[in-house]
Amino acid sequence: MGFEKFGRFGYVSQTKIAALVSYLEKNQIMATQCKECGTLYFPPRADCPKCRGSEVAWVPIEGKGKLVTFTEVYFAPPVFQDSTPYLLGLAELEGGMRVFAPISNEVDRKDLKPGLELVLKSKQAGEGVFYQLESQ
Amino acid sequence: MGRVAIVGVGHSKFGKRTDASLRELAFEAYSSALDDAELESPAIDGSIVCSATHYDKQRSPAGVVSEYLGLSPKPTFNVEAACASSAVGLRIAWSLISSRLHDVIAVVGVQKMTELSSGEIQELMGRAGDVMWESPFGTSMPAYYAMYANAHMAKYGTTEEDMALVTVKNRKYGTKNPQAMFQKPITTEEVLHSRPVAKPLKLYDCCANADGAACLIVASTEKAKKITDKPVWVGGLGLASSPMSLAGRQGPLTSFEVTKNAARSAYEMARVKPTDVDVAEVHDSFSITEILNYEDLGFARPGKGTRLLKTNETELGGKIPVNIDGGLISKGHPVGATGASQITSLVHQLRRESGDVQVDGAKIGLAQNIGGIGMYSAVSILRA
Repeated sequence: MGFEKFGRFGYVSQTKIAALVSYLEKNQIMATQCKECGTLYFPPRADCPKCRGSEVAWVPIEGKGKLVTFTEVYFAPPVFQDSTPYLLGLAELEGGMRVFAPISNEVDRKDLKPGLELVLKSKQAGEGVFYQLESQ
Repeated sequence: MGRVAIVGVGHSKFGKRTDASLRELAFEAYSSALDDAELESPAIDGSIVCSATHYDKQRSPAGVVSEYLGLSPKPTFNVEAACASSAVGLRIAWSLISSRLHDVIAVVGVQKMTELSSGEIQELMGRAGDVMWESPFGTSMPAYYAMYANAHMAKYGTTEEDMALVTVKNRKYGTKNPQAMFQKPITTEEVLHSRPVAKPLKLYDCCANADGAACLIVASTEKAKKITDKPVWVGGLGLASSPMSLAGRQGPLTSFEVTKNAARSAYEMARVKPTDVDVAEVHDSFSITEILNYEDLGFARPGKGTRLLKTNETELGGKIPVNIDGGLISKGHPVGATGASQITSLVHQLRRESGDVQVDGAKIGLAQNIGGIGMYSAVSILRA
């Protein structure tokens, strides 16, 4: 339980990696690392498909990355419609992990293009807690 | 191992079908496919009902569809692969027949979408993404494809005008398809000035939700030769998957690896090259998708898909006519029916029955059907 707080509107409440929410509430961006083979996972995973290890450790990550692509949503699922238009992005973090996240409304839309340097930061909004891409 | 053929096809009118329920739509397509094959139900061994069942009021619709078609107690089950459900249905039928477990199978693609409000559909489509890591941020089907569009625009200089050409082309052919939801042409200006959905995609870059059904009667070599003198042979089938999460995918997102992988398998199995294809149906869920598909299927080199459009090579009379039945953009997209609808159009082409839009001498047809936000892609190659 507890994972329903992740995002602007959570669909899933039960998961082995629900601790992400409490880390985000403390402004920490955390990944999981397989204790068996050392592979780092972000978004976090409870299980490693490479070695089938299910023992993972929480480790902090740097949020710096570059935008891969983005969009600005005007017609949204009903629970998000009041927030339109809003930005969504896919970024590649240092180290190669990719993250799908909202892009802060404060980022100038004119600057948006693949390669734009952004940073992933925790964000609280209403009941929800998540991460978003912000200007470095 | 014997070959597998399509011996009959049927198609309902697509669109906002307030007059018909799911089972009745299925009946329209099934009944016309039986007429086409000159068969009656006792000749059918079983049915594969293909729909994205989360849209259906009826849970596990194969049961009720099979009953309504008069096929009980023969085997039936659902196949779900989002928008690629009935292309995957053809693959299952091929396997059932090649294994000699069955001889004649009805693949029934059907979807009833307009009973749901557009908002409900948006919510469902929002959950078509990864529900743990992406849907909580307000994703939508168009948003994902818009992200591919922006990436393609940035890398190759593709423009919104280029994308509009897809809609204009497909809507032009929609005027010739009496089963299509939209049968009126549209101008580039109208596309460019339609309201934004997820930038850079606008309303008329998007296909529409629809109700409809399409049915394929699939048979073994032995049965096919008895049933018809115009069998259309399944030459190659390719199916691949991709990570559902966008973050799980590699590269600049200017192409769908999933389609490239499916195409490679299908071309290998059919022993043909992209240049051998005489007519194609590709998944134009959005205008940008058709451009990416040209490149991913090998009709154009990466970044050169728009050139095919601008030089009219994907028009009737061009090198590789694409979506000359109007595509999803004209026909509408009753998710579970779309794959079978594409294949129905190809069967008519390969049997030289396509009238105004007949491709002269068409011998090899290719259909490509993407599931959801690109987690599945199916490529089917048919031969006259």
